Amino acid sequence: MTPAHFPVPPSLPQAAATLNGVVGPLADLGGLVISDSGATRGAVTVRMLDETLEAATRALAGTAGVRLADMFAADDGPVTTLRLVWAHDRGYLVTETETEGGQYPALSEIVPAAFVEECEIYEQFGIGPAAGEPLNRVMLPPHAGQDFPRLGHRPPQPLDGAHARHTVEGQAFEFPFGPVRQVGVESLYYGLVTSGEEVVDLYLFTWHKHRGVEWRLRGKTPREAAFFAERVEGLSAVAVGWAFAAAVEAALGIAPPPAAARTRAVALELERLYNHAAAMAALCQATGLSVGQAAAEIALERLLRVNAAAFGHRYLFGVVEPGGVSRAPDADVLRRELPGAYDELRRAAGALLSTNSFLDRLEACGILTAEQAHRLGLVGPVARATGLPMDARRAGPYDEVPATVVTADGGDVLARFNVMIGEAAESVRLISAFVDAGTGDGRTPLPVTGGMGLGWAESPRGEALAWVALDDDGRITRARIRPGSVRNWRGFDDACRSQNVFTDIPIIEASFWLTVAGMAR
Amino acid sequence: MPFWFARGLRRGVVTTRYPARSDGSAAFLPTPPAFRPRQLTGQTADRLVAVCPSMALRRQDDVLIFDVGACTACGRCAEAAPDAITPSGEFELGATARSALVKRIPIRGETR
Amino acid sequence: MNAGSDGTRTGIGAGSAGQDPAGQGTAEVARQLRDTIAAQFGRSLHIRTLDTGSCAVCEQEIRLLSAPYYDLHRLGFFFTPAPRHADLLLVTGPMVRAFDGAARKTYEAMPGPKVVVATGACALGGVYPADPFVHGNVGEVLPVDVWIPGCPPSPLALLQGLGVAVGRLAEKTPGLTFIAGQDIPGGAG
Repeated sequence: MTPAHFPVPPSLPQAAATLNGVVGPLADLGGLVISDSGATRGAVTVRMLDETLEAATRALAGTAGVRLADMFAADDGPVTTLRLVWAHDRGYLVTETETEGGQYPALSEIVPAAFVEECEIYEQFGIGPAAGEPLNRVMLPPHAGQDFPRLGHRPPQPLDGAHARHTVEGQAFEFPFGPVRQVGVESLYYGLVTSGEEVVDLYLFTWHKHRGVEWRLRGKTPREAAFFAERVEGLSAVAVGWAFAAAVEAALGIAPPPAAARTRAVALELERLYNHAAAMAALCQATGLSVGQAAAEIALERLLRVNAAAFGHRYLFGVVEPGGVSRAPDADVLRRELPGAYDELRRAAGALLSTNSFLDRLEACGILTAEQAHRLGLVGPVARATGLPMDARRAGPYDEVPATVVTADGGDVLARFNVMIGEAAESVRLISAFVDAGTGDGRTPLPVTGGMGLGWAESPRGEALAWVALDDDGRITRARIRPGSVRNWRGFDDACRSQNVFTDIPIIEASFWLTVAGMAR
Repeated sequence: MPFWFARGLRRGVVTTRYPARSDGSAAFLPTPPAFRPRQLTGQTADRLVAVCPSMALRRQDDVLIFDVGACTACGRCAEAAPDAITPSGEFELGATARSALVKRIPIRGETR
Repeated sequence: MNAGSDGTRTGIGAGSAGQDPAGQGTAEVARQLRDTIAAQFGRSLHIRTLDTGSCAVCEQEIRLLSAPYYDLHRLGFFFTPAPRHADLLLVTGPMVRAFDGAARKTYEAMPGPKVVVATGACALGGVYPADPFVHGNVGEVLPVDVWIPGCPPSPLALLQGLGVAVGRLAEKTPGLTFIAGQDIPGGAG
């Protein structure tokens, strides 16, 4: 059933661009319904039949400027609905398909970026791709039996094979590393495959930190859930909290007051600043430059103190809430304290860019190409360092004060470092502009009603996405929280493979600046 | 390295004197709530227990049991009952007994 | 293993020495031993961190302990990656059940005398209730000697907690009522 024309909801100006550029060609495939009411708001939603999904995915994957941002499932009664979220440079497209027979097409064969999500969907919902590579364990621990809490009704058959596929040519030695690793870093298990010192392959297990956040959010009100959403990945508390709040607002058809939206942007840019300072300190630690590390840590501490003085919390917890924000920043404090704190960061970065022994370790280390970044669905500074100009700072307050996207070439650690330095300068400019435009507190009241919505924000490590379904009492039936780390850990093994040695792994990890908590959830 | 050495010398020492002297930055840290029993009615107490997202508050007859260890200083209780709650200003909360972090606040009663 | 919910624990090595109702003499010797150990730890302490499922922010505050503003080295405290060399285990996170084995192995790899410090609201029983994913409280799996609240605990709070753990600083919490107008200024009590 092909619609004769595409009605454009007036509340979604990006919908027109998405519809014409992306969905239009899909109309030929048939079995498509473009739906806005009763479906995901905040994005253009296309409902399609199971038979159309494979062809539609192929068409979308082949369209320039379109990438797969997320894939997840939800049980609506006896039926499992599969949703794919596609990012377009003007907005998002959500495709919804009710799966039949516990299977769906082998999407990761078409879009490799979907592989981790296929594994996750299989663990949680018991539905799998019709063909393709064997699936891995991702979030549930080995002892999780049939009764272990899952998001879906149907537990899967036990998984065979406990680690990612890898090909080992010649003689190699495989050894486990972690989950208890260096002091002061999160628990993470690597399997390292090495021949001599060279990294042949590397695979990750994150189940040691899986707290079951999406399972835990069911039945909660948006406000109750926001407390957990910002603690999914605390170093991206503002970004993930904003994505979640935006998803709730889209589902309920409301928007935050403009002054509150600007407050969110100020908080998000402050978050970006301190994370980039922390990444710089981690890079110095990984390369053994203690003095540079101390310089970056001075900048980091000053930025955290600015956060505490302006917003009452060093890591900006409790600022973003569904409907708006809980407090406005102290503008005088920001104007007075931020320039000095940023100056520390800028001078430390400048000194590092003059230190050849440091730069030698960063150049040509951990290289990713733009093609790899696109194929694996990478986001954030990691993707921008390969030259891809993607940034989720669109709409809302950024309509008023657009963010300049910083990219670099080369895709190595040095390129990522340069992107972070450029973004830090841009963040300071944005904070100043938003403060001058007028920040405030305030929340739009949440109506008690049902709906589904998509929200997003650009965290320091990349696009954070959230999707919620609310029942008629306004409580969550399904919440999807997808921090940027979920996408980018996918690229970590590619970045570490070949040409890199053991001592490069901490440097690459610092340049990605992800969290295990964000992936393990 | 002489470049970094000279830079460090110019930068100087930034280490705080804590714990010998309190650090100015401490004034901006979020802290757990302190309660005003005279403003703490039974109804208010029930509202606070419901609003706490971290299981730090529960009610036992005419006592509000406040678990400082579970408190995240999120401020939702202060927002729900601004007359009954004020920031404690305390962040030096290390304790050798878990029970030392569980406090009993009388509801609408005399202070002990 | 119990974790001090009855309030009779003191700071050091509570895993092995401790209550001895049968012999007052032994208890006294144990107390002297603990004081001697505390005096030694107070001058030089090696810390191993353990993440049992945190949101990553507690780890960032802990990393800042060795940064210029806080510099725990001047207090004689050092981080060490090897549990075999560690005196104190600094634990964050709500003790995800899938991590139990790794937590126990890390604790058992540390030679006695040793101290366990749980830090952050997640580790102390807040944020996550006990359920099939997490214990919700580090004390369910490890014998905790010192508890440091906060979300996250700032480096200042961590320093104070570490000072309490080695007996260099007195605890404040037993004397705090959290009732305004009593020990805490700012309001009609």
